[in-house]
Amino acid sequence: MVRRTFLKAVPAVGLLTACGRSSRIKLALNWKPEPEFGGFYAAPYSKHGLDVQILPGGAGTPTVQMVGAGSVDFGIVSADEIVLARSHGNDVVALFAVFQNNPFGIMAHASRNLTNIGDVLKEGTIALQSGLPFARLLERKFGFSHVKVVPSPGGDITSFLNDEKFAQQCYLTSEPIAARRKGASVKVFAVSEIGYNPYTTVLAVSGESLRKNPDAAKALVAVVREGWRAYLDDPKAANQQMHQLNSTMDAETFAEVAEVQKPFIETEDTRRSGLGTMSRERWETLIGQFKELGDISRTIPAEECFRVL
Amino acid sequence: MKKTLLPPLIPFIGLTLMAEFLVRQGFVRPYLVPAPSAVFRAMIDSRVELLQALLSTSAGSLAGFALSAFTGIAIAVLLSSSRAVQRAFYPYAIFFQTVPLIAVAPLLVIWFGFGIQTVIASAFVASVFPVIANTLSGILSTDPPLRDLFRLYGASPLATLFKLRLPAALPQVFTGLRVSAGLAVIGAIVGEFIAGGGLGSVVDIARTQQRIDKVFAAVLLASVLGLGLFGLINLLSHLTLRRWHASEQAE
Amino acid sequence: MAVQLDAVRRVFDNKHVVIAGMDLRIDPGEFLAVLGPSGCGKSTLLRMIARLAEPDSGRIRTEPNGERFQTAFVFQDAHLLPWRNVLDNTALPLELMGEAKAKRYESARAALEQVGLLEALDRYPGQLSGGMRMRVSLARALVTEPRLLLLDEPFAALDEITRFHLDVQLRELWQRRGMTVIFVTHSVSEAAFLANRAVVLARRGGAIKLDRTLELPAVRNNELRGDPRLGQEMRLLLGAIEE
Repeated sequence: MVRRTFLKAVPAVGLLTACGRSSRIKLALNWKPEPEFGGFYAAPYSKHGLDVQILPGGAGTPTVQMVGAGSVDFGIVSADEIVLARSHGNDVVALFAVFQNNPFGIMAHASRNLTNIGDVLKEGTIALQSGLPFARLLERKFGFSHVKVVPSPGGDITSFLNDEKFAQQCYLTSEPIAARRKGASVKVFAVSEIGYNPYTTVLAVSGESLRKNPDAAKALVAVVREGWRAYLDDPKAANQQMHQLNSTMDAETFAEVAEVQKPFIETEDTRRSGLGTMSRERWETLIGQFKELGDISRTIPAEECFRVL
Repeated sequence: MKKTLLPPLIPFIGLTLMAEFLVRQGFVRPYLVPAPSAVFRAMIDSRVELLQALLSTSAGSLAGFALSAFTGIAIAVLLSSSRAVQRAFYPYAIFFQTVPLIAVAPLLVIWFGFGIQTVIASAFVASVFPVIANTLSGILSTDPPLRDLFRLYGASPLATLFKLRLPAALPQVFTGLRVSAGLAVIGAIVGEFIAGGGLGSVVDIARTQQRIDKVFAAVLLASVLGLGLFGLINLLSHLTLRRWHASEQAE
Repeated sequence: MAVQLDAVRRVFDNKHVVIAGMDLRIDPGEFLAVLGPSGCGKSTLLRMIARLAEPDSGRIRTEPNGERFQTAFVFQDAHLLPWRNVLDNTALPLELMGEAKAKRYESARAALEQVGLLEALDRYPGQLSGGMRMRVSLARALVTEPRLLLLDEPFAALDEITRFHLDVQLRELWQRRGMTVIFVTHSVSEAAFLANRAVVLARRGGAIKLDRTLELPAVRNNELRGDPRLGQEMRLLLGAIEE
């Protein structure tokens, strides 16, 4: 009896997997499910006939390599990662920029009475991902000779809470809220203060897929745009879904962060040209900064980095 | 000399040449696997940085390893004293083996701060268990007739420990140390990911810069460090056990 | 030294009766061979006499009972400490008893001379042949000038020629020193060659099936090997074992 059922099931499963393989779209995130990805979870994929699988990430998920290598169809990266990747021959292209302004910042204790980002580097400890361009721009501009540089704890604020002279890189929409919750009073400096402002939480695709099937990419971007609109209007449902997947952030924080991040996502530019829009000017500025840092040897044409669909 | 160095060298050269060919011809993308020549160039270009990092990781892993060796042997001696003590405390020793180091490392930073002390702690946690397990096994597996001999002449438990059980356990102690050496390097690098410094930090930073050639260069140096430590233990083992067994004699 | 066993009983795991009430007296200066099939309890008997194991009931006495460490034991394998040279291995018992270095090395040299290994002082066990290692083990046993020497199938792992050689050497040492020797063996020919008294144990329970004083000359050398009297004793012993 079991044998007969099994034999009947085999071709059926085969058919299903064959279907799945051809139409299942994989979208890799570069962090755990949090409000910064809200619109991707809120997007009505099945309504438009798309089968999308969102793959949560974590510290160090190499999304830009995964997209380039073809192990996922789409991935979330930041604009600076795209510039670097393209300079190494990795053909990835940006399609949709969720964060119009870079939400990276430095978080310090308010009791230090610091007035600008340079002050943070005058003493104490700072936790940074030293390889990131903004960290190196900071070093160039202010120098790290008076501050102890340690690796970024990746969202964990324990060291920060234990030491008044400890500052760390943060997402303006994330760690400061968690710190305030724990009773600390913090002062935050946006990295864009020093003029470094790449698009962040950018939906990217490999140049090859884009050339092969531009319509598929266009369809996905449209649904994503719808999803972000829906999330901005009402984040509750998507927040609940993400909270199930990421219990390290409580429901209240989800709601608070979703609110605080709005001005980064919806700006004058997006009201004019649509959510996720990108401009050539911004890309050119970014490429110029990389050239100055010496991270890329020759200028990359800005128009190859992104496509507005 | 020729017999030990030449055989492993041949496949290494072969693989390197093949990798170079595959990357140059475009079969493998350079941002996924760097060409060996690129790795070599990265080593030359960043030699000062890499050398400093290597020295730092070496210090951290050696210190962690030494701590493991002494503490591990001491713990094994304590555990060997009675079955009751063993049953009560051995499970905790196993904990060192099974705890996922990458999860514990952030805790180590909170306790010990950012600096080489955390790297040493991490190397210790990663490498102490094999020393305990192997030393204990060696001490407990002393030949019963030899133990009888010591009893026959009224030897105290301490005399039996130092004159019989510990020396008899030496081959197994060295087995434990061999395994532990490599683990100490891994532990040090994991510690460096979280606490900064050394080759771990080079790997982490190069990764965020998408400098995969530099990542490979650092990883290669870390492997060389592990191999070096392993070789050192082997040398020590050979010198110590030289006159012992017929098997050691054959080498 | 005399050894007296009264109603000695030894049980393993609460059910396996290895020795069920044995009475045995060994007089001072005797060379006793203990024979029997595997598992008959001969090694257990030896270990109890050596005080390495205690009987579950009954009593084992040695006379005189005064000084300690009058018993020496030679195991089936030489069991030398591989990290010590021959001299240090031989001197080990005296070292454990707390004797000074000079004195114990002197005794060790004397013992090694008796077994003909004086030139091997500095060698390590790993460099010696099986026969040589066994001779060191013997020297080690003799270094405390024991009154009672117990041997548990000591030559079983050696080739026949070495074995014959060591048999002769052991017998000479016994004659020279006048100690009591209890020699456990599987080999009927060895027992007959070496001992002046032989005891055969039953397959189970350690009952004594035969206790015989051997009718053989006092001087035992390789010539005896062809003597019909030896063959006769061997047949008697073998018969008792096979019953």
